[in-house]
Amino acid sequence: MSEHAEMIDSIALLALGVLPEAEAQAVAEHAQGCAECRAEYAELRTAADAIGYDAELRPSFRGADAARLKSRVMDAVRASGAAPVASGGAKVVALPDRIGAARDRRLWFAYAAAAAALIVAIATGANDIALRGRLAANATRDAQLADIVAPGSKHFSVPLGEVVTSGGRVYLALRGLADPPQGKVYQAWTLQRGEKAVAPSITFSPDPSGVTIVELPEPVANLAAVALSVEPVGGSKAPTSTPAFVRPLS
Amino acid sequence: MARVRERDVAAFEAVYDAYHRLVHGIALKMLEDTMAAEDLTQAVFLKVWTTPDTFREGNLGAWLARVTRNRALDALRSRALHPEGEMPVDVPVEGALDDAVFALIDGERVRAALAQLPPEQRDPIALGFFGGITHEEIARRTAMPLGTVKTRIRTGLRKLRSALEASMAG
Repeated sequence: MSEHAEMIDSIALLALGVLPEAEAQAVAEHAQGCAECRAEYAELRTAADAIGYDAELRPSFRGADAARLKSRVMDAVRASGAAPVASGGAKVVALPDRIGAARDRRLWFAYAAAAAALIVAIATGANDIALRGRLAANATRDAQLADIVAPGSKHFSVPLGEVVTSGGRVYLALRGLADPPQGKVYQAWTLQRGEKAVAPSITFSPDPSGVTIVELPEPVANLAAVALSVEPVGGSKAPTSTPAFVRPLS
Repeated sequence: MARVRERDVAAFEAVYDAYHRLVHGIALKMLEDTMAAEDLTQAVFLKVWTTPDTFREGNLGAWLARVTRNRALDALRSRALHPEGEMPVDVPVEGALDDAVFALIDGERVRAALAQLPPEQRDPIALGFFGGITHEEIARRTAMPLGTVKTRIRTGLRKLRSALEASMAG
């Protein structure tokens, strides 16, 4: 069987999104250079995209749950305010004017991270596939941002940022974090209620965008404090340097 | 969406009103968790607001459905329920979304069109889309040979498109 014959058999699988990544990449690369496969993909992708509507909730989906969800989304959107559009079409995401205001402080990282993501996307926008890949990679970060700005999230100021608890999860949201020395990483620490010593949590390096958002693996329940220090790569069992901060969650 | 790009909150609200049942429905069906589905719905619409330029052309509903599915797959993987590690790959093909087909699409039309497919075609398609699994896993779960899975998915998608077009024409 020719490569084309093999590939066109897989076009429907690609359109439905059920191919493993490596295979999907190979089929996609072939499709971009093959008019027949491209046409097949376009036709079947339309059908595949429609399948999501099978799950569309009935028009009767109203009531308290629908209203609460809409309120939650609209609150986050309204709170983010308007951002000016630059003459070239690229958006400039404005930072809030009053960093000290509680509402603005809560949203600061959403603005900054959104701006950083946008700059990265624009910078890599010359290649459509690369851009799409970059945006896909931002999915987790976007979900974390939604978490951070969600109503009910709690924000605790620390140097260079905040510790945020939301939906049972704990985040570090930091801006302008300096690169650690060679062979070192940042390590978070958590203190459980009733304990006298901190326990090691996740290690990480600053995000090149300038805005670092880290979700700690520990659930927020029973957490009394979060700390951050610089440690050797691989992490430590106990802090070996003076913590950058120790933040009680109260 | 042009007005959303200009930071028009009312325009965004109109988009939300038009598509929240689609986004939330997909999230609920894939995640089977009310709170997680709400989180995902908020994340999708926040993406619409913060990076509206990621939607370039075609049908907004189809794009939102794809974004929601991809986000749900991410969430499923993060739960380690789907350790296969497959990633959705998007092929930029001109005209991939057919506005004529999508102009009048809604849940009722799609459910009616899917109902016209025989179960042996409908089931692997639904399993692949909402279950977020690979064709190999579909073959394993349905005890069908890989080649049969390919054929049935391809035939089923073609029939689905025809049924949708017939529905729009009618």
